Amino acid sequence: MTGAVVAVLQSALAAEHAACYGYGVVGAHLVMGSTALAAAGTDWIAHQRARDQLAAMITDRGGLPAVSAVAYELPFAVTSAATAAQLAATMEDGVAQAYLAVVALREPALRSFGAAQVLAAALRAESWRGSTQPFPGLPPTSLRR
Amino acid sequence: MSDETPSRRTVLAAAIRGVPLVAVPLALAACRGVQVLGSPPPPPAAIRALSAAIAAEELMLAMYRAAIAQLPAGNTPAALAVRTVQAEHAAHLSQLRSRLIEPAPSPSATPRPVAIPPGSTGSILQDLELAEQAASDRLTGQLTVLPPALAQLFASIAASEATHVPYLQQVPGAAP
Repeated sequence: MTGAVVAVLQSALAAEHAACYGYGVVGAHLVMGSTALAAAGTDWIAHQRARDQLAAMITDRGGLPAVSAVAYELPFAVTSAATAAQLAATMEDGVAQAYLAVVALREPALRSFGAAQVLAAALRAESWRGSTQPFPGLPPTSLRR
Repeated sequence: MSDETPSRRTVLAAAIRGVPLVAVPLALAACRGVQVLGSPPPPPAAIRALSAAIAAEELMLAMYRAAIAQLPAGNTPAALAVRTVQAEHAAHLSQLRSRLIEPAPSPSATPRPVAIPPGSTGSILQDLELAEQAASDRLTGQLTVLPPALAQLFASIAASEATHVPYLQQVPGAAP
């Protein structure tokens, strides 16, 4: 049971490691002094906090927190402020999906934590994309027709 | 960040030796494991929560219909935004209904009248924003009584509704 819980937390941690890396790429393509760069900084810090929180939760359960990869392949080329914003939004979608797996856990505190993180990721995605989604984090295949 | 130092060194060392770095696909690392949906019939508390969520979405849709009727006619930015969000609520409702295993209560013949006090575009949007936040909070508060797959759906819809608040706030004509 604990092993399964730790595995889910590790997946969320992997998503946070990827986001921490990705926001570095995002920031590098934004204009110095812009509100977008300030937002990227705020979001980056939020992901670092979540990453550290997950690492502590894993350690508390006797697990060894996964470390970040040295580099991450980007899903598409980031060459401008617009593609940087797109990357941020895409990463937030992935983070929301990883936390929905935490929501599926039975432990109430973990479920609440997961839901709060899904919500935070969806809000960040909305601000980068300028539009909303009906089911943040839920893959279309899990929706019923 | 102290834990980043060794990995930087690794990057450098690898670069010097000409070793190709193994890059982990970002999307892959980020996307793992939403539980496979399709579980045993939800317990009664969950059914009550699901029925309440369905009723709340029906009410929300009625509120959006009332808002559209109140807004100035035409494809104004406010009308477009409100219709976009309305479509997301329709999607929420259909997913929630699909999880109800009991026969759904027959929809009342006359739709419940929903009052949106007449007012400016700004005040109409503000009413919707308040309703969205309340709906999001209500779903979040129900999570612990739900089976895993339904908890995921509730959390996702709660997140969607929370994003409607800043989305409506940035519409031209929204109250500051």
